[in-house]
Amino acid sequence: MRALSIAWKDIRHVYRNVAGLAMMLVAPLLLASALGAAFGSGDNFVIAAVKTVVVDQDAGAGAGMPAAGAALTGALTSPDMADLLRVTKAATPEAARAAVDAGEADVAVIIPPGLTAALMGDGSAAAEVQVYKDPALSVGPAIVTAVVDSVVQSLDGARAAALTSAQLAASLGVTDPAALSEVATKAAEAFAHRVETGAPVALEERSPVTPGAEAAKRPNVASQVLIGMMVFFMLFGAATPARSILDEHRQGTLSRLFTTPTPRSTILGGKYVSVFVVVLVQSIILLLAGWFLLGAEWGEWGPVIVLALCGALIAASLGLVTVSFAKTPGQAGAASAAIFVFLGLISGNFVGTANIGGTFATVRRISPLGWLLEGWGNVLYGGSWASIALPVGAVLAYALVFFAVATYFFRRRYA
Amino acid sequence: MEAIVVERLRKQFDPPKGPVAVDGVSFQIAEGEIFSLLGPNGAGKTTTISILSCLLRPDGGEATVGGFSVTREPEKVKGLIGVVPQDIALYEDLSGRENLLFWGRMYGMNGAALDKRVDEVLELIGLVDRQKDRVDKYSGGMKRRVNIGAALLHKPRLLYLDEPTVGIDPQSRRSILDGVKDLNAAGVTVLYTTHYMEEAQELSNRIGIMDRGAMIAVGTQDELVRLVGERTRVDLALDREASVLAAEWRALPGISTVSEPDDGRLWLLVEDANTLMPRLFDGARAAGARITEISLAEPNLEMVFLHLTGRALRD
Repeated sequence: MRALSIAWKDIRHVYRNVAGLAMMLVAPLLLASALGAAFGSGDNFVIAAVKTVVVDQDAGAGAGMPAAGAALTGALTSPDMADLLRVTKAATPEAARAAVDAGEADVAVIIPPGLTAALMGDGSAAAEVQVYKDPALSVGPAIVTAVVDSVVQSLDGARAAALTSAQLAASLGVTDPAALSEVATKAAEAFAHRVETGAPVALEERSPVTPGAEAAKRPNVASQVLIGMMVFFMLFGAATPARSILDEHRQGTLSRLFTTPTPRSTILGGKYVSVFVVVLVQSIILLLAGWFLLGAEWGEWGPVIVLALCGALIAASLGLVTVSFAKTPGQAGAASAAIFVFLGLISGNFVGTANIGGTFATVRRISPLGWLLEGWGNVLYGGSWASIALPVGAVLAYALVFFAVATYFFRRRYA
Repeated sequence: MEAIVVERLRKQFDPPKGPVAVDGVSFQIAEGEIFSLLGPNGAGKTTTISILSCLLRPDGGEATVGGFSVTREPEKVKGLIGVVPQDIALYEDLSGRENLLFWGRMYGMNGAALDKRVDEVLELIGLVDRQKDRVDKYSGGMKRRVNIGAALLHKPRLLYLDEPTVGIDPQSRRSILDGVKDLNAAGVTVLYTTHYMEEAQELSNRIGIMDRGAMIAVGTQDELVRLVGERTRVDLALDREASVLAAEWRALPGISTVSEPDDGRLWLLVEDANTLMPRLFDGARAAGARITEISLAEPNLEMVFLHLTGRALRD
């Protein structure tokens, strides 16, 4: 009961500190909200559709032959590209360029007259598809250029197929020009048909989805970021009540507590409880706020609760151990800020749970926060108890060690 | 039974070269007594009271409070004592009542009994009307009262007050001194530390005079004053700065102590005032000075301290 009285007193003190509350609750929510708004509510870092204006000046080569300009325009306006490109048509190249200059379009694709003839001819006529882009942009124009490149290369492929077929037929003894032309045309058509109707180039998507949980919803950007921010700011949430030990030493109330029959272990225990409760409440608020405000879906509630408890334990233990080395609240503030930022950097708190891989995934396991974020990453992507067992075990081991170290130094100082 | 027994208590900070704050101090305090530790700043009073509060472990010697050892049975000692620290030790963001409730819980009290006792203490310290205000809104005197009240919640058998009147107004000081007497009248044994001779004289049954970590004298006021012998105190005022004259008079036989002059005022301890007074006037005339005031008085604790240490109590 006395420990709880001490804890309650300290908790009330923390919640009367407006600046501390802003750091604990407002800062991580604002950061996650800002990043979520920047990258949308999808499950990955998406970008807005590229505004593209197309001018098709190509008249085609003749009846029965696919017009290269039409093929290119068709590729840009196909339903498969609808998420990436928002295409309008302009009457003239000047109008298209003007649209880019005025900011009404990001990119203009100007298909020259004679493109088909250049592709299907004997190579003496040249044609150039022009991509006119807003110089401030890079990603959108790069996408458009890639699409144009792909189409032009496939058209080139049709031309190559036609030439190769004609040469093969000639080598087999076909000499009639009409027959050779028919062979070349059919080869080009067959190639073009395969391009149009064949299976599209598959884009293999490597997903961090936990095996067996592929059907689970992938977390949006905001929730990925919020987890890292929450864990990071919980450290500061822990440091504030932990510093109360030094504040009370300075104010004389700690000595006064030691003159009462309340054992020192109870006094320290009350302090520990207050630190733990403050960060646990902080994590609950942030998880709920993420759910309501940012559409986050954290995963199965059981593992989420365990991870929240572990996060509170490790944040509390880190807050206490950094304070145990300090002699004044000022020292504690400076030291803990430096240590927390370092831990945040090596643990990946600032890069989102989806972007940890390779060597970094190994390095961050040096830090207890890295283990905690690994557990959160597993749960966010559909994992359950088995996927958090090792991270939780590691976090608890770290917390135990830190609590023991903090207790040793506090008892030594206040013996 | 003696309430407090201290035998050859010793405490050194940062040994082996650090200062010895308490050096072989011995004294006893009887049940129901008000005992003052009197001495200048740095004498070792607060260190002694810290050891008796079980805040510090002594390096040597032994102390018992209520029959319990401060080193082997600290929890039992703490249950008997109430400690009023020298500095205000309260939670400024809690109200007066909340502070008392908290400290009462630290002494193991709770529920209705604690609420009732807090009401009684608030009445005792005169803060019933301001009990719901935060302590940071209190005056210095009010904070001192809550500081004392927090030590009384569990009705301690012994009360330690460490220089409780430092820096407060005369009215609050008067209130505190009267309160200490009332508590003692109700049966509480009091250990009171101060560097104000007047407080020690007014309150105490017995006084221990400390200087530089050592107990240099213990006794009632009469016993201590008798240490300076059958001497008389002569208070003088001169019409000019008197340090040269003071030095000359120190060398005169029959004069045991001369205080440091303070703007022409000084006092002397003399063995025979009737014989020495003409010589004082002669000395002043020879130095071109005039004695403007002279009075005779009984020796006081300040003179005892000066006689024993050669230094003034407030140096």
